[in-house]
Amino acid sequence: MATNPMHQFQVYKIGPEIEISGVNLSFTNASLFMLISAALVTLLLLLGTREKKLVPSKIQLISEMLYNFIAKMISDTAGKKAKPFFPFIFSLFIFILFCNMVGMLPYSFTVTSHIIVTLTFAIFIFIGVTILGFVIHGFKYLKIFVPSGVPIVLLPIITIIEIISYLSRPISLSVRLFANMMAGHTMLKVFGGFVISLGIVGGWLPLSFSVALTGLEILVAFLQAYVFAILTCIYLNDALNLHH
Amino acid sequence: MSELDDLKTRLKIAKAKLQKKNENGKKKGVFLGNAFKIGTEFVAAIAVGTIIGFILDNWFDTKPILIIIFFIFGAAAGIMNIFRAAKKMQNLED
Repeated sequence: MATNPMHQFQVYKIGPEIEISGVNLSFTNASLFMLISAALVTLLLLLGTREKKLVPSKIQLISEMLYNFIAKMISDTAGKKAKPFFPFIFSLFIFILFCNMVGMLPYSFTVTSHIIVTLTFAIFIFIGVTILGFVIHGFKYLKIFVPSGVPIVLLPIITIIEIISYLSRPISLSVRLFANMMAGHTMLKVFGGFVISLGIVGGWLPLSFSVALTGLEILVAFLQAYVFAILTCIYLNDALNLHH
Repeated sequence: MSELDDLKTRLKIAKAKLQKKNENGKKKGVFLGNAFKIGTEFVAAIAVGTIIGFILDNWFDTKPILIIIFFIFGAAAGIMNIFRAAKKMQNLED
């Protein structure tokens, strides 16, 4: 069923089945494409930093631009205190970006179009940020659930709403990335199917749509990685600088 | 020496042009990112509220009162999320 638009999201195992204490740890196509993305990132950055010239080569320029881009984003959204988290946010951004971009290649697999992957990222960030907030501020961190200047009658309701809003962070973070990637790739496949079924007479219209959508998808792939990273910065900022 | 000065001025002009272009492009990118951001904020809060209501209902055997109440709380939290995101957008614009 190669014409099924959802077929591209199927996870299948490559090689032998590995099971450790009841948990299936087989190597799948998802793991393969994660490895490919990680390898590409490593390759790009290693090549980019191999020779540090004053007048940079193209590949050095790319890695320097990436560095500057993330460094500026962190200092703009989370302030100076977030500097120690630069490696984390940089790896997060560049890994998601490369997963999305590798997914744009034909016959490849988009790792980020699976909610389990994005939810793992998001829950990891959520728990990390929460622990960080408690470590830095102690029990004062609970103040983010109690905004100042609220009448005492409304306080319990507002607190519940704030807690729900706080808990919704990992969900909105993960669903956004997953839904955008999955919807985009499904749409591309559906339009691709139209080209085949309408043949040489009517196939030109969906083909042109397909081309336009591919461009849009590349933009979305970048934007979603960017949004994921910037929201991580915002959450980090809330944990580092309490102001409510 | 005049050649070097010439290069300097040309570099300056090119840099100014690039900066202008970059600023425009960046702003557009930020807005698009925000547009993508806001939609899910609302839905996620409602989902979380409803799930909390569902769990509490199972605990206290009060079906379906708490799920209704927490659905409403979730919607309120969603609206608050959107409000905050919009506020942040406005701050970026300035």
